[in-house]
Amino acid sequence: MVIAERGWAEWAGDRSAKVLLSAMVYMILCGSTGRLLAQADARQTNGQQGTEVASAKAEERALPEAPQPVAMVVSAGAEVDRSAALTSGSSRHLLSEPPPSDGPTLGDLGLTPADIEGNAARQALFDRRTHMLKVHQKLGLITVLPVAAACLSSVGAPADKGNYSNTATRDLHVALGSVAVGMYAATASYAIRAPKVTGEPARGGVKWHKYLIYIHAPGMIMTPILGAMAYNQINSGQKVHGIASAHSGVAVATAASYGAAILAVSWPIHLKP
Amino acid sequence: MKKISLLAILLLTLPALRLLNAQSDQIWKLDQSSLTYHMSHPMHEVDATTRASLGKGVCRAGRCDFLIAAAVKTFDSGDSNRDLHMIQVTRGAQFPIVSVRLRLAQASLDSPTLDCDLEVQFAGNTAHYQHVLFQQKIEGAAHHITGVVPATLTDFKIDPPSFLTIPIKNEIPVRVDMIWKPL
Repeated sequence: MVIAERGWAEWAGDRSAKVLLSAMVYMILCGSTGRLLAQADARQTNGQQGTEVASAKAEERALPEAPQPVAMVVSAGAEVDRSAALTSGSSRHLLSEPPPSDGPTLGDLGLTPADIEGNAARQALFDRRTHMLKVHQKLGLITVLPVAAACLSSVGAPADKGNYSNTATRDLHVALGSVAVGMYAATASYAIRAPKVTGEPARGGVKWHKYLIYIHAPGMIMTPILGAMAYNQINSGQKVHGIASAHSGVAVATAASYGAAILAVSWPIHLKP
Repeated sequence: MKKISLLAILLLTLPALRLLNAQSDQIWKLDQSSLTYHMSHPMHEVDATTRASLGKGVCRAGRCDFLIAAAVKTFDSGDSNRDLHMIQVTRGAQFPIVSVRLRLAQASLDSPTLDCDLEVQFAGNTAHYQHVLFQQKIEGAAHHITGVVPATLTDFKIDPPSFLTIPIKNEIPVRVDMIWKPL
C-alpha cells in the first residue's frame, strides 16, 4: 500500500512536470513562430526601404499591436454639428509622418510614390498660371468699358447730314476705339502667355470662351483697320464706301462675341435671391 | 507513448491554429465610389465629382481601420478651367492626394448608421471630424454607404477663390457614396 501510494505520487509528480514542460515548450514555440514571421517580414521590409507597403504587411501579419486609442461609436442619429464635428486642424505632410494607426497605407491602395509625392515646381507653374489668368480676367472686365463706350460713341462718328468738317465726335470714337483695342491686346497677352499645365482639351464654358476667340480676335484687328479706312474717306469728303462700310457691322459682331466670351467663361450662372 | 504522441500533435497543431486565427483578419475593398464636393458662390453652384477613389479596410482584433484616397486632379466639375483653378487653390500639385482615415468597431460594421471619426488630409493639412454619420444599406456582400463630410476651406487653410471679387462660401460639403465589399 505504501509502495502503491509512493508510485502514485511519483506518477502524479512526473505528469505535472510533463504538463508544465509541455506548456513551456508550447509557449516558446508559439512565441518563436510569431517572432520568426516578424523577422521574415522585417527582412522583406528592409528590402523595400521607403515603401509603406512592406511595413504595413509586416505589421498585418505578425507584429504585436500597440495599444491604440479606440474611436468607438458613441451615439447614432445625432445631427452633425460642424463646430463639434471638427476638433482640430494641423499641418502634416502626407509622406513626412507615418499613418496614425497600423491601418492600411496609401501604398496598400496601389498608389506609387510618384502618385503621392508633390511637385513644388509644378505647383509654382499652377500659381503662375492662375496669377496671369486673374490679370486676364480683370483686364478683360475693364476692357468692357472702352468697348461699350466706343460702341456708344459710334452714333456721332458718321458725317452729320453731309457736314464732314465736324470731327470732334469722330475723334472721340477713334480714341475710345483705340483704347479698347489696346486694352484688348493687353488682356489677350496674359491669356496667351499663361503657362499650359495640361494637354487635355478644354471642357465646359472655357471651351466656348476659346471658340469665341476666332470671332472677336480677327474682329479686333479688322475693326480699327476698317475704321481707319472709313475715317479717311469721311475726312476726305467722301461717303463711306467699299469694304470700309463693313466697319460698323464687324465692330458690332466683335463686341457681341466679346461679351459672349465673358458670359461663356462664367456660365452657368445661378443668381441667388 | 500515447501521451508523447498527443503532446506532439498539440505542439504541431496549436501554433497552426494560431496562424489560422491570424489569417481570419477581414479585408475590405472599395468597390465603387463617388465623392462630390459642393462649392457655392452668389453666381455659381458647382458640384465636382471623382469616381477614381481607392479604399481599403483592415479589421483586426475587433476593430477596423479604413483608408480612402483620391487624387485631387480627378475631381471633375465639367469645366476644365475651374478644375485646374481648384488644383492651384488647394495646392493639388504639391499635395496631390486627399485621404480619409477612420476607425470603426468591427461589431458596428453591419449597423444601418455608422458614426465615424474622420481624419482628412488635404491641401497639406489635416482636419479631424468627429461623429460624422453615414447611412448604410447592405445588399448581399455589398455595403452601400452614403453621407456628407462637413468640410470647410478654413479647415485646410485654403484661401477662398473669388469671382467678381466675391469669394466662394467657406463650406464645401463632400457627399460620399461608396460600395464596400469584403475580400
